[in-house]
Amino acid sequence: MMRGFILAGVLAMGLWQVSTFAQTAPGRGPAPKAAAKSAVPRASDGKPDLTGVWQGGSTQRGNWEETNGGVGVGGSGRNPAAPVVLSSNDRPAGREGAPYQPWAAQKVLEAFNRRGIDDPTSLCLPAGLPRTVMLGLFPQQIIQTPKQIVMLYEYMNVFRVIPLNAKHPDDLIPSYMGHSVGHWEGDTLVVDVIGFNDKTWLAGTGTFHSEALHITERYTRVDKDQINYEVTMEDPMVLTGPWTLRSTIMLREGTRLEEYICAENNVDPERYEKLLKDGVKFNRQ
Amino acid sequence: MARRIIEACLLVVVLWYLATPLLAHHSFGAEYDANQPITLTGVLTKIEWTNPHSHFYLDVKDGKGNVVNWKFEGYGPGVLYRLGWKKDVTMKPGDTVTVFGWRARDGGNWAHSREITLSAGQKMFFGPPSGTGDGGNAPAVEVR
Repeated sequence: MMRGFILAGVLAMGLWQVSTFAQTAPGRGPAPKAAAKSAVPRASDGKPDLTGVWQGGSTQRGNWEETNGGVGVGGSGRNPAAPVVLSSNDRPAGREGAPYQPWAAQKVLEAFNRRGIDDPTSLCLPAGLPRTVMLGLFPQQIIQTPKQIVMLYEYMNVFRVIPLNAKHPDDLIPSYMGHSVGHWEGDTLVVDVIGFNDKTWLAGTGTFHSEALHITERYTRVDKDQINYEVTMEDPMVLTGPWTLRSTIMLREGTRLEEYICAENNVDPERYEKLLKDGVKFNRQ
Repeated sequence: MARRIIEACLLVVVLWYLATPLLAHHSFGAEYDANQPITLTGVLTKIEWTNPHSHFYLDVKDGKGNVVNWKFEGYGPGVLYRLGWKKDVTMKPGDTVTVFGWRARDGGNWAHSREITLSAGQKMFFGPPSGTGDGGNAPAVEVR
């Protein structure tokens, strides 16, 4: 009985989402005028132009103020009743478990039970990929040219310079953001990333990886406002197989990237040390 | 066919949840207790507009009339700016404000701030909801 209710609920939500998505799908716009307005901007070489300031992890269309006034990153202050939003460390309901090898899954669980105090970002280290792309609190900027694409992230002030139709160098130094090369597959920008260090989390508390991490990202701008983002993570040292996540990245016209110098006043490591020393109980188990 | 529809719907639901905006940085749950909400009114003594987080300090009178200085944590300057805050304009030392948030686990006079009611009555967010950055309600892996 209960299962039937849950299934019905899931179906209803799914159908609602399908209908919403169908209305906004390219070529199926409700009115020609609206369709023209949301057409994918093209670069001089005919490729979709991804240039702009964007917000990851959102589905809302509009500028930053409009779209973050309710369910967004804590709201604009006009709607204090805005529902609680998930953090980049949360596992959203409905997401399948990450395919970690049993020993590695145990390690992920331990980090979860310690409430994420081992998060590398609490030391002001870069958040790595795909976390940096998928988080919504800070904007990201894409600058596209025919030969290379530059991605700038406010969070931790990191960047990626992505040459197109190039090969990875064979002398890579392991790094937080890895080394990216891109190419176009039709209207989708495919970015291949290797050369990571093992000091970041992928997507969720404790989701560690090894230097063998290989990430494939697919950026498809489906209309003026939206990039569909699909990321596949492979790491034979810790995962049992590929782990794929899908999200959307939304255009935020009028937003500019701010400086983010995390080391300016980072008191968290000191606090964690004191909590542990004082025996304050915060573990889940 | 029915199974394919259900699978398609499930996929869409997963995408929908995944599309929720994501926050980042430190663990709310380690430092603060979501079961200890607190609302305090006092006079602002200092604001630190710093990354990764801003802080402000409030002189609050306790039950015996003694003044206690409380420290509150919130978003960094970039996030506050996008939420409509203006440094040295929206809120200044000397202003009387009311803060809603959650107390620190160690029982000290500090808390995580969520909503501030400014002296003119306007309500604005200064920090994220409780529970940000501490891993949420379920781990990223299946628990067996």
